[in-house]
Formats: sequence, structure tokens, C-alpha cells
Amino acid sequence: MGNPVMQFQILSTAPDQTARFYSAVFGWTVNADNPLGYREISTGSANGIQGGIWPAPQQAANFTQLFMAVDDVKGCIQKAEALGAKLIIPPTSLPDGGELAVMHDPQGMSFGVMKVR
Amino acid sequence: MMSASCRTDWGMALPRYGSLRDCHRLNSASSIQRVMPGSHFHESLRREFDARLKRNPRYSLRAFAEFLATDHSTLSQIFRGKRRIPVSQLRRWGKKLAMTPEEVAIYVAEQHVPDQSVASRQEQLRQWTVEAIAIATDNTHWQIVRLAGSRGFRPDSRWIAGKIGVTVDQVNVALSRLLRLRLLEIGPAGKWKSSLCVEEKEFHKRALVRVRELAAEDGIELRRLTGKSSN
Repeated sequence: MGNPVMQFQILSTAPDQTARFYSAVFGWTVNADNPLGYREISTGSANGIQGGIWPAPQQAANFTQLFMAVDDVKGCIQKAEALGAKLIIPPTSLPDGGELAVMHDPQGMSFGVMKVR
Repeated sequence: MMSASCRTDWGMALPRYGSLRDCHRLNSASSIQRVMPGSHFHESLRREFDARLKRNPRYSLRAFAEFLATDHSTLSQIFRGKRRIPVSQLRRWGKKLAMTPEEVAIYVAEQHVPDQSVASRQEQLRQWTVEAIAIATDNTHWQIVRLAGSRGFRPDSRWIAGKIGVTVDQVNVALSRLLRLRLLEIGPAGKWKSSLCVEEKEFHKRALVRVRELAAEDGIELRRLTGKSSN
């Protein structure tokens, strides 16, 4: 199956404005009607990946993360840590039954791994 | 910003962000008055000497020092990375090396850009300061943990926001921080669990200790206040 890039996530200090901007430019639709109030982005195309917007603290930088699909989140963390990654958000269950974790790669870039239910 | 954060008084029994040694080192580094070994001007100087040596194998370091109107041992130390070049020298030497004023200005400007390792450490200090301040000043964190341990809790940011009286985004920013700081877990079956279901004051105290512990893993030293203001 491999480990495809499943999703992009924009971390924004102004998530509503970010949603409005990308919706206006690309015609994306944003739906936050879910337990976490997560702004799920639908790009309107079956090509490429879908994404989401998560709020960032006011003092933080705005950035984008990629989430890769894995079969075993904990196993992937162990492997990544052995190669120099740093765990930022430990394995966390999602309301839909999936699981995710966020790490920094050895260069300090943030990325996520997720197990889709 | 950096000196302000280092002066911050977190109050009784709370950690202070960064040590005085860190503040001194970072503030010194951010106001560099000498050319760092390995800077582009340093490399230019070396290249010029090598080019002269190539043209004339008998060309000496002493001759190059005389050309620059400096002492040859000083120049030797600079080439060996044992000594930095004062910015005032950079301007004079740049002129002697026939650099344009624009080139010299760029090399001078480079001296005011913090070294990458210093900038990286400053950013880490800033990030940990932000985490600590948020824990100390925003009680949304404690409210989430309190609710998570209460009967009838719903793992729903919208429900939590309604209970606390903040926005969903404020809940989610605090939720992310609680997860980052390992103050809350969302386990299988979506169960939210915290080992810090304690009174608010105790929560802040222990949460700030956690910030200090995690900062230490990044090589950022936090210290408890000492003297009259500590308990």
C-alpha cells in the first residue's frame, strides 16, 4: 500500500481569514461541522489530496504540514526518532477512530503521520 | 524581546525562562561588532591572499598585512579563525581591496545578522517562553483538563467552548498545547485523560514544571526563582 501523503494541514493564526482567502482564490469549500470544529477543506477535485485548517497560537508562525498514512503510528514514531526526528504531539485518537502524531524531522520541519480508520 | 523575556518574573515557585547566562550570551551575540570567522568578508580576504600567492609564490602574509596596514600576526590569527575582524577594519580593508561601497555595505550588514545557531536558539527560547506564558495566563488549559475529568464530559471542542465561554479556536489552540506538553492524552475510543486533574493553582505550578522539563530536552535551561520571591 505504501505510505501516501493523505492530507495537508494549514496552521494559521487567523483560520477564518485563511479559509476565506483560499476559498476565494481556489473555490475550495470549508466545513467545520465536526466534533473538533476542524475546518475540513474540500478542494472540489478527486485529484490531489484534501486538507484542513487548524488554529495556531497568535505568537506562532503560519505554516503547512503534510500528513502521511501509516499502518502503525507508534512504530513509525520509533523509526523516525531513531533517525533523528522529535516527537511533538504523541499518538492521539481522532473522533472518527483514526490516530495521528506530529513530529519534527531532523531539520526541524513539522510533519504528521496518521492511521486512517 | 529577549531581554524582556529573561527579566520576566513568573511569581512564586514558578520557573523563570532562561538563565542570565543565556541572556548575556544571546544579547552579546545579537550585537556583534566583529567579523565572525567564516563570514563572507573573511572568505574574501582569504581568497584575495590566495590569488596574490598564486600570482607570486613568494608573496607573504607579512606583505599582505603591510598592504592592509595591519600587523602580520593579527592577520595570521584572523586566517586561523582565532581572531575576529573589527567592523571598522572591514570598511578600511574593503576599500583597500577595491570593493565597491555596496559590497562593503553588504559585508557590514552580514555582521548584524545573528549566527544561525544563535537565531535557532533564540527561536527556541521564544517558543518556550510563549508556551510558559500561555500556561500561566490562559486558564482555558485548566478548564479543559477539569472538564475532561468531570461527569458528562463530551470530547467535542464545540461543547467545551460553550462550557468555558471561549471560542472553538481558543479551545483547539489550548488542546494542542496540552497535547504537546503531555498534559492531556486522547487515547483509544476518544477518551481524554489527564494526570493533572487538580486545583487551578496546583495545575499551573505542575504544568510550568512540565514546560521546564520539556524545554530542558531542547537544551533550554529553566530555573526556579531563588531568593525572596521563591518559596
